[in-house]
Amino acid sequence: MLHHLIELILRYGVPLVFVNVFLEQIGAPIPAVPTLIVAGALARNGEMSSTYVLTAALFASLIADWIWFLLGRRYGYRILRTLCRISLSPDSCVRETESYFERWGMKSLLFAKFIPGFSTVAPPLAGAMKASTLEFLIYDAVGAFIWAGTAVAAGRAFHHAIARLLQRLEDLGWWSVVFIVSVVILVVLLKWWQRLRFYRKLRIARVSVDDLKAMFDRGESPIVLDVRTRGSRQRDLRRIPSAIVASSPEEVAEQLAQVPPSSPIILYCT
Amino acid sequence: MLIDRGYVEVRPLAGGLDAWVDAGYPVEELTG
Repeated sequence: MLHHLIELILRYGVPLVFVNVFLEQIGAPIPAVPTLIVAGALARNGEMSSTYVLTAALFASLIADWIWFLLGRRYGYRILRTLCRISLSPDSCVRETESYFERWGMKSLLFAKFIPGFSTVAPPLAGAMKASTLEFLIYDAVGAFIWAGTAVAAGRAFHHAIARLLQRLEDLGWWSVVFIVSVVILVVLLKWWQRLRFYRKLRIARVSVDDLKAMFDRGESPIVLDVRTRGSRQRDLRRIPSAIVASSPEEVAEQLAQVPPSSPIILYCT
Repeated sequence: MLIDRGYVEVRPLAGGLDAWVDAGYPVEELTG
């Protein structure tokens, strides 16, 4: 069975790499790195072309990222928020992505694909921040090349081990397919379960804007921390009345130096 | 980080500043 699968990869290898990379970059939970590694190993054995594999990965990645970039440019932070909703926490997701961008600028696209989650969120953020299209495409292409190149190079370097693994799976026949499919299903289920649990916990812990307003109206004075990034604050100069501004952990520590640990603290981002 | 520093009641605001503004609650301008 696996023999047929490898034949399929060999026959449709490059289009398969293209579709896999495109789906992953557009946000589907289908990892492309294993495919790129196997393609690299097959290329080392002369059964595929590394150049074609890399070109397919590069274009698939660029097209998917460009779609997100354009959506980010058109819908701004709303699209980012929707995308982050798929992640663990919309607030921290937007904030963390922004932090990377503020620190590294467009250069963050060079390593974005190595950071889970950031890979899909970075292009729409670049669009929302009205980055130059040409600059985006250049950095994104270099980033995609480094990412796909690393996976293909790993496949080429460990081609003997990968060939042995494929052979062992082939010996297992149908069981190898059952094994691989079961592992993939288990990983996806585990991720969803972790996400649901975390999200439920987060929802319980959150305070709604109505609750916060009610606290103010009752004369309670919780410590409200504006933990938006500097860039985010520059784009929107408003804040919740009396909110303390603190962007970095050091600033938070400094601002709260005199605040007793029993005080209720409410944090907000964009 | 705050919880590590001993703060026991730390809660994020659902929807952030956008939700506060969308609800029509007052805001103030940041200065400096």
